[in-house]
Amino acid sequence: MSAAVSAPSIVPNVQSVPPTAPPVSSTEVESAPIETRPVVMDVRNLVTYFYTYDGVVRALEGVSFKLRRGETLGLVGETGCGKSVTMFSITRLIPDPPGRVVSGKVLFRGADLLWGLGQEARFIPVKGSNRVKVKRSFRRVKAAQARVGSVRGQGIAMIFQEPTQAMNPIFPVYDQLSEVLLEHRGEELIDGLMQATPDGPAVRAAAEALERAVKVSDEAIRAASKALGEAVKLPTFGTQAFYMARQARTSGRGNLAQDVRKAATRLRLSGSQRAYLKTERELMKISREYRSVYISEMRRGELERANRGRLSARRLRARIRGLPYRLPGIKRRASRPLRDEAFWRTVQSLELVQIANPVQVARGYPHELSGGMLQRVMISMALACDPEILMADEPTTALDVTIQAQILELMNELRRRIGTAILLITHDLAVIAEVADRVAVMYAGQIVEMASVKSLYTRPLHPYTQGLLASIPRVDQPSKKLESIPGSVPNLIFPPTGCRYHPRCPHAMPICKEQRPPMTVEAPGHNVACFLYTGPPATE
Amino acid sequence: MRMWVYVVRRAVLVIPVVIGVMTILFVLISSLPEVERTCSFYHPSGRTSPCTTTIPCPQDPSKLCPNPVYQSAVDALGLNKPIFVQWAIYIGNALSFQWGYVAQGSALGTGETGSGLPSLAGQSVATVLSEFLPYTIELSIVSLLIILVVSIPLGNLSAVYRNRPVDQASRVMSFSGYALPAFLLGSFILAGMTFALGGPAAPSAICGGSSTVFLDFFGSWPQPPCVPLYGTANIGPVGFPNWLTIGYISSPTGFPTVDAAIHGQYYLALDTLLRMVLPAIVIAYTTIAGLLRFVRNSMLEVMNQDFIRTARAKGLPESKVIKKHAGRNSLNVTITVLGLTFAGFITGFPVVEIVFNLWGVGRIYAYSVVGGVKDWDFGVLFGTTLLFTYLVVAANIIVDILYAYLDPRVRLG
Amino acid sequence: MAARWSQYKRTWYFLRRNTLAMVGLGIIVLFAAAFVYGLSYPASSSVPTQYCATNGEWPPTASNPCYDAPNIICTYPQGTVPPTANCYMTPRDNPNFIAPTATLQGGLGQFPMGSLVYPAADLSSSDPLFYNTYTMLVKGTVNSIGISVLIVAAGAGAGLLVGALSGYYGGWVDEVVMRITDIFLSIPAILLVIAVIIVGKSSGLVTFNTTLVLIGVAFVIVWWPFYARIVRSQSLVVREQRYVEAARASGASNGRIIMRHIVPNSVYPVFVQMSLDVGTIPLLLAAITFIGFVLFPYPLIPEWGSVAAAGASVLTPVFTQCGVKGAVCAIPWWQILFPGLAIFFFSLSVNFLADGLRDALDPRLRR
Repeated sequence: MSAAVSAPSIVPNVQSVPPTAPPVSSTEVESAPIETRPVVMDVRNLVTYFYTYDGVVRALEGVSFKLRRGETLGLVGETGCGKSVTMFSITRLIPDPPGRVVSGKVLFRGADLLWGLGQEARFIPVKGSNRVKVKRSFRRVKAAQARVGSVRGQGIAMIFQEPTQAMNPIFPVYDQLSEVLLEHRGEELIDGLMQATPDGPAVRAAAEALERAVKVSDEAIRAASKALGEAVKLPTFGTQAFYMARQARTSGRGNLAQDVRKAATRLRLSGSQRAYLKTERELMKISREYRSVYISEMRRGELERANRGRLSARRLRARIRGLPYRLPGIKRRASRPLRDEAFWRTVQSLELVQIANPVQVARGYPHELSGGMLQRVMISMALACDPEILMADEPTTALDVTIQAQILELMNELRRRIGTAILLITHDLAVIAEVADRVAVMYAGQIVEMASVKSLYTRPLHPYTQGLLASIPRVDQPSKKLESIPGSVPNLIFPPTGCRYHPRCPHAMPICKEQRPPMTVEAPGHNVACFLYTGPPATE
Repeated sequence: MRMWVYVVRRAVLVIPVVIGVMTILFVLISSLPEVERTCSFYHPSGRTSPCTTTIPCPQDPSKLCPNPVYQSAVDALGLNKPIFVQWAIYIGNALSFQWGYVAQGSALGTGETGSGLPSLAGQSVATVLSEFLPYTIELSIVSLLIILVVSIPLGNLSAVYRNRPVDQASRVMSFSGYALPAFLLGSFILAGMTFALGGPAAPSAICGGSSTVFLDFFGSWPQPPCVPLYGTANIGPVGFPNWLTIGYISSPTGFPTVDAAIHGQYYLALDTLLRMVLPAIVIAYTTIAGLLRFVRNSMLEVMNQDFIRTARAKGLPESKVIKKHAGRNSLNVTITVLGLTFAGFITGFPVVEIVFNLWGVGRIYAYSVVGGVKDWDFGVLFGTTLLFTYLVVAANIIVDILYAYLDPRVRLG
Repeated sequence: MAARWSQYKRTWYFLRRNTLAMVGLGIIVLFAAAFVYGLSYPASSSVPTQYCATNGEWPPTASNPCYDAPNIICTYPQGTVPPTANCYMTPRDNPNFIAPTATLQGGLGQFPMGSLVYPAADLSSSDPLFYNTYTMLVKGTVNSIGISVLIVAAGAGAGLLVGALSGYYGGWVDEVVMRITDIFLSIPAILLVIAVIIVGKSSGLVTFNTTLVLIGVAFVIVWWPFYARIVRSQSLVVREQRYVEAARASGASNGRIIMRHIVPNSVYPVFVQMSLDVGTIPLLLAAITFIGFVLFPYPLIPEWGSVAAAGASVLTPVFTQCGVKGAVCAIPWWQILFPGLAIFFFSLSVNFLADGLRDALDPRLRR
């Protein structure tokens, strides 16, 4: 089932794509070979350490990769090799004490998301122990968080491992989903509301058509509600009508046309509602301009105090102007149309992730939903604003295998439709084989091999990859001995010198102990970091 | 489940606790010697004579006969019946607010409290307490307001700005408030205000309250020129001449401030309110001390949860993340702790009321336990204990209901 | 065991880094020194002797003799001059009390406030009733700290036992015990303590000598629910652990399991709570004695709160009538301030230490 009452918000919004990347349609994206697609994110030399009582945990030591439009890059490795840390480092979600992104560059939309790292903290080694004291500048760290926050949600979206813990338990589901929509797409919502026409002969006719369609079939209801949405010039009203019609169908109550028209009259905005919407729109506009200021700061590499000052003055004025509509008695009524609109948009996005009864789910609370449903909700939340990149940290590890398949299929389909690049982090090689275009294998905080899926599975180069693939139990060879990689994951406080894999490597050479192997190109699209191979150095 | 179902369930669960408390008090009361028990719950019709087991016989004054009033009291209390009957009688009395009478020989009964309170002998304990209770309740409401307004924002800020100046300041406040004895803080706040409003040598511009002030009230305020910051000038308890008993003014709600406002005596209402500010600050300071640490810790815990990370990942501005997601979640825990600290809250009242010369239930309680064996008033003592327990239990119920309202997970059962 | 020793070392490391905790520890050491010093003061005789009041001049003379104080038996007939050693000042009882300017050296001047630097001159007296603020404070230190520690230890012990048993056995035992703790926690502490002590004293079960025991029992009755709750929640967690299962499988009896596994593993939060309570109990004692309730006969067994209460009895009217300067003269402010400060610093330092201990022992704080 695909949602016939499709929401226009899922089509890539031309205004949100920055001028550096030309708008690209989905089919074009899928047909082009991966290496030729434009790069959306370029991670260079990411170094992240955790400063603990026991010493400095060198979690990431120079991670680099490029993510291209529309591809799914899988990041594989054992538990504790730093996959999740990579994802959090990119968007600065590392808990700042005790962690710290020490250095690196993440280029996204022409801006370095990690700009300013050097000025934020000073490192003082403590004599006589392995500890290092970190003196952070609270102000600068906070400012950096605000900067990166400008791309979170609508540029880079994220979903996490435990869906049951990921949502706030005291707010209903629609509240948390509409937060994202209002934050990033608020102006669109308000514009749509302002130009809706809830009355008129076209509306009346469409409502009656809907009532007639109730007796016919589900598809008829769908078509009729879509037509109603067009008549009102507000597609979400079509969704609302669709569910009202469906309920009328099951409960057999008449007067649908009248109910629908009554619901439409609520779209007629009163004076105070219009004023409220205008002030909200102003605030959203200012937020958007703030975001673009942050992005340009990260692009140019310097603070733009003048612009910020201007914007905060405007924001203060807008807030003062909007104060009368935010008073407790008035705000509820004045914000009703916007909240309803956001609610139905939420329902639309829940439809897209194939949730069967989106209205009940939206009205309910997170603890009422199962893990699979919650992960779908998280996906819809992540994709609600058409992000360019979706980073998924072990999205299916906490779920059953059957649900896992559904979620992965869902992610794939949405990717095809929207053209989002996915960074999929997992320890499960099977998932990678199913879903990913390219794979990066991580070990102890470093990327050891990067290749397309086919290339990696048919010809694994790095000894660690070989060991990983060899240790998968083979159903078709039941008598084969179970292989494992000898040794254990290294202690990241005292990591091995040179190549971090050398203590466990069956082909270790003396040079492996001394130097870290650079990434070299062994075959087109297949890079490896190992002294066994001597190829030209990789550019990515 | 529905909200009201939860409320009813919660209220029902409270009954065994209340009965349990009464049982404990009953155990204590039944350990008292019989004479004391009877004399504290003595029927007032025999009040003219002191409480003795025997009186001179009416026929022959040189001999002693058993006191018929005393005997009737013994029968009423069931002292000659098995203990279970006594327990049942006590529970019945406690629930129906028959808590005995103020004893004649006690400090409250003889009026020798040295504070101007007339003798309350013979009055029903419940009536006496209800005369003084509204003042304590008003005081506690003002204190609670101050506590909520200060501790929640300050605690949240200390968590968000960990180890920054705000956190250090709140840490100082919390430690000092926790360690300061209430009487010290009260005395020195009073001394400080006296100094501030009068200077070292002049008589202070603080009114402590004297009954002459009220007679001038229908004139101008403040009269004489002073700021009323402690004492209870015009709202007096049973036996005091006060504006409620003189003349035509009725007391619809029993609460001084509210009544004054109802009657249009706004200056009087303001006066009463002002007198509660300083003592409320003292009580609030000592309670905030314990609460602040807790608010901060619960906020820190909330901020480490996954959904905060999700909220940040959604691109919400940090202020919204903290105010909406973290703030609301930590509110739940804060409300619970507030209910738990209510019992400790009560401890501060007797001290503060004595220092600031207020006429509330705490003061009456203090006078019932002052001095030695002869001065103790058991009726008032146990009555006040029961009253405060009711208050604590009621507060806990309210807190639970509030908690269920704020956190939908609780309602599922 | 090596693991436990290194945990102590680690805890000590964190404690050392915490300046507040170290400050607290330093102050506690000072108090401990005062405690030991105060132990050297001979105790007052067990029979309450007579106390009389003078009208402000010192020493009492025939023309200015002692007066009776209410509620205290004075066997010296009114108007006579008792030996100086048996007189002491009660401002409360003296409506004409005007405090003279107090001096700091020796016991000179009209009022033997006693210096804070030199000990009282009467240490060698044969009837050692000490009656200047300094000695009151020192003896009060001994009494207050001693009582607090004893009460906390007893209450913690009782609560620990009940909580461990209740948590371990679970089922209806647990339910019943939890209801009982609910009941006890609903009664405000101060009220229950006073009620128990009053009943104890009135019912004639207690003579003067066993007052201390009575007070201890009263406080234990009030305090055990806090500890029982903490221990119970800990033992609920501990009893699900594998090593308990292993112990049971190897045939250990219930009692042995409780003593060897449950109790030691529940000890940390109890320890923190104990250190907090040692700071809170002097406050509670001060509140009780301040409102006028006679816990110990005042000059005989002085306690910080009772010293302050005696001084505070003329408090409020004086402020309005005399202004600050007059109040300073008319109220024995030193009798309120110094015990108050002693309580404050003692409680503060214990709180610092307890807070530092809690931070050091908390496994959730990332280091």
